[in-house]
Amino acid sequence: MTTTTATVRSRPRITLAPTLAKPLAAAGGVLAVIAALLPWTTFVLFDNDEVNPSLQYFDAPFALSGYRLHTMLLGLAVLVVAFVPRIPGRARAQRALGFGIAAIGLISLIFLSYNGGGVGTVTAADGDAAFGAVVALVAGVLVVLSAIAAGITDIPDFPTRLPRLAAYGALVLAFAAILFLVAETLTAGGRSGVSNPYAGPTFLAFLGMAGGVLGALSGVGVVRWISALSERHRAFSIIILVLCALSLPLTSAGNAYWMTVATTIGVYAATAIGLNVVVGLAGLLDLGYVAFMGVGAFVAANLSGAATSKLGIELPFPVAALIAAILAGIVGAIVGSPTLRVRGDYLAIVTLAFGEIFTRSAQNDIGGLTGGSNAIPRIPDVELGGTAFNEEIQVGGLELPGGVLYYFMIVLVVGAVMAVFANLKNSRAGRAWIAIREDEDAARAMGIRTGKAKIMAFLVGATLAGLAGAIFAHKLTIASFDSFKFLESVTLLAAVILGGMGTIPGAVLGASLLFVLPEKLREFDDYRLLLFGLALILIMRFRPQGLVPDRVRRAELAGETATGKSIDEEEALVVEQEHDGPTGKKGGTA
Amino acid sequence: MTADPIAAGAPVLHAQDVTMVFGGLVALNKVSLTLEQGQVAGLIGPNGAGKTTFFNCLTGLYTPTSGRVLLNGARLAGDPAKVTIAGVARTFQNIRLFPNMTVLENVLVGRHSRMKQDPVSTLLRLPAFHRGERAAKERARELLAFVGLTRAEDEVARNLPYGDQRRLEIARALATDPSVLLLDEPTAGMNPQETEATRQLILRIRETGVSVVVIEHDIKFIFGLCDKVSVLVQGELLVEGTPEVVRADPRVIEAYLGKPPEEIEADARTAAEEHDKGEQA
Ligand SMILES: Nc1ncnc2c1ncn2[C@@H]1O[C@H](COP(=O)(O)OP(=O)(O)OP(=O)(O)O)[C@@H](O)[C@H]1O
Ligand SMILES: [Mg+2]
Repeated sequence: MTTTTATVRSRPRITLAPTLAKPLAAAGGVLAVIAALLPWTTFVLFDNDEVNPSLQYFDAPFALSGYRLHTMLLGLAVLVVAFVPRIPGRARAQRALGFGIAAIGLISLIFLSYNGGGVGTVTAADGDAAFGAVVALVAGVLVVLSAIAAGITDIPDFPTRLPRLAAYGALVLAFAAILFLVAETLTAGGRSGVSNPYAGPTFLAFLGMAGGVLGALSGVGVVRWISALSERHRAFSIIILVLCALSLPLTSAGNAYWMTVATTIGVYAATAIGLNVVVGLAGLLDLGYVAFMGVGAFVAANLSGAATSKLGIELPFPVAALIAAILAGIVGAIVGSPTLRVRGDYLAIVTLAFGEIFTRSAQNDIGGLTGGSNAIPRIPDVELGGTAFNEEIQVGGLELPGGVLYYFMIVLVVGAVMAVFANLKNSRAGRAWIAIREDEDAARAMGIRTGKAKIMAFLVGATLAGLAGAIFAHKLTIASFDSFKFLESVTLLAAVILGGMGTIPGAVLGASLLFVLPEKLREFDDYRLLLFGLALILIMRFRPQGLVPDRVRRAELAGETATGKSIDEEEALVVEQEHDGPTGKKGGTA
Repeated sequence: MTADPIAAGAPVLHAQDVTMVFGGLVALNKVSLTLEQGQVAGLIGPNGAGKTTFFNCLTGLYTPTSGRVLLNGARLAGDPAKVTIAGVARTFQNIRLFPNMTVLENVLVGRHSRMKQDPVSTLLRLPAFHRGERAAKERARELLAFVGLTRAEDEVARNLPYGDQRRLEIARALATDPSVLLLDEPTAGMNPQETEATRQLILRIRETGVSVVVIEHDIKFIFGLCDKVSVLVQGELLVEGTPEVVRADPRVIEAYLGKPPEEIEADARTAAEEHDKGEQA
């Protein structure tokens, strides 16, 4: 029945000549190694009086560090993957490694030639030759071609029934590796600013490398295997994950600056998970979400004894944060109430308007509680037993950087928010939200009070955002309307969609990427948002289901989408058009 | 809330003079229907006769222009969720499952109004939560077994074959513990074996005490299944009665098909087939 209509979108499996795969990969791998050994610029850019010896890796031959070391390692990995027999998912791995190498080459090419004043910087000038970046780019392209020649195959599955100890070992290793990767990514390129013009490109090149490695691991099935293992040993995974997160201050990221960056990421991650309830689960497009974070921030600021607050109330932080969260939730429920009447695009407009009203009123200090354009500064530090949260602390013999307590607090809060999300998703309420997202009329016909459920979604999402906002205000010691503008709402939405709708790791990853990137790309100033938008477009083009997709979204985007028509339109048709839903022949699922 | 043991013969569902006007179009004109406890009633009529509109009026999806609907003597609210909670469940002519949820989850959504979960035990995963979930899953699995979908439990609904999707929709509707079940063309697009299986399924549903109203184009199916049949033509209730009475009624023959009885069935079958083809296009 109705077997013809479904648009099954399977990736076109282009295969060139499989025999070409190995030679291409070998050539690419060798070229990548050669590229690493060649100089990459004809002279060192931004060379100033105190010459940084580490900058030699730009112009000296054989100086293997930084991205040149990464290029070398990726090249060697390509060779290993090409010549070790029977690697499952080989082509996928090669493709990812190739993209990694090419990304490093391309980013360096663009950055170096742009800042060096022309292509001479990255080719030959003044008797110096520096073809490293060009060769790396060619190497990357060759490796990608080799993958296409071999033909992309499915990601292999590995057994997940292991002896408990082996599984735990694998998980600990994996999470430790993630911790290492997170620390390295965070600090890659160092702190961005005028004194460090290389921060942005170095960071991007590092992302290219990390993406290549992760892609390769995912291609050979390791990522899927680890996530299946952690699904199977859920409690253990959560404990290890939290422990890993808590040990970030012990890594290279262990100073006050990175703690602040990490805390900010945590705040946005918590907010993104809240937004995920509204958008990802209930399917309600909210374009003014960051305002709830703002409500939380301003409430907390006013209740915590900030100098310019008109209320003059000073409550302990937990109380202030709780009240902030509850008030934000109530505002959320109020803003959500039009959802009873409007659907889809109209709701987006209502929320957009609310977001604007919020920012404008805060900017003009309507109500006198937001400080207008002066904001509310000097919000007192959170204190615990006489220790201010921004101070350095000593634990035993360990010296922990300033702000580490905020970081710990946000780790715990993000953990709690994750638990709230997961527990709601797999419950009566969560199922109702998903049902509404899938088909609102059918949900009503199942006895779901959709209005109530939608308001609940708004309430939960806003509460979580309010809590995050309270922490945000205290960490920054200032609550300003400037932090809660439309752009932030859009970025949060992008984080949820980019990471993968409806999943926790997706929201966290999306939030991290989107709030680290601008921080890291500071010296690109004007180009920053452009780059950012470009990255978003690319990701959405090549991975529309998001970086960490939900089972549901995966299914949805791999096949046809459900029609969003309302029952009135559909049933008005005299000759009913059946949904092309009934398939059952997709990829021979039997 | 399963069917209350009402005195036999008392109407479970009583639609009185339901009229529905869309702009200038009178889609339903004073249509009445009474359904008794444990009855299977059939609703037939040509395309566009207003059958689906009638279901939409019964379930609160449309608010009738005039007329009222009583369930066990109490007036039904014009809100689909409340109607379902009161005990009237339905399926849709154009299948409307939650396509990206699993089969089991679809049925669990049907349990929504029949289970309680307080926020605290949900968030903290207290024993009360697990008890409730276990009970709901148990009932959902029972229903899946009842319609014969046990093995598809973890499949994503959209991936089910067509016939299974229809059966899943029935299981999902039954999960709301209805006293009245409204089925809108439950065998549309099915082959003869599947159609027969559906007939058996509806009979088994009736055995559990649920009263059923079925819309179908397959007249043979309707006459072989229903205790009584109503014929709707252009929004008017033309004839109502036992299959024998309806089959023999000259007005039905004339208005509905314009042909003698022997040709009705053959003709209806072709009509149904064409209808299905239209759906697939
Ligand atoms: N929401 C609506 N707005 C306007 N007209 C409608 C609406 N719903 C139904 N109609 C009209 O009411 C009439 C009856 O439609 P209905 O879908 O109830 O027919 P039906 O008997 O179910 O037909 P079929 O056998 O094709 O399913 C049609 O003329 C249809 O166009
Ligand atoms: Mg109809």
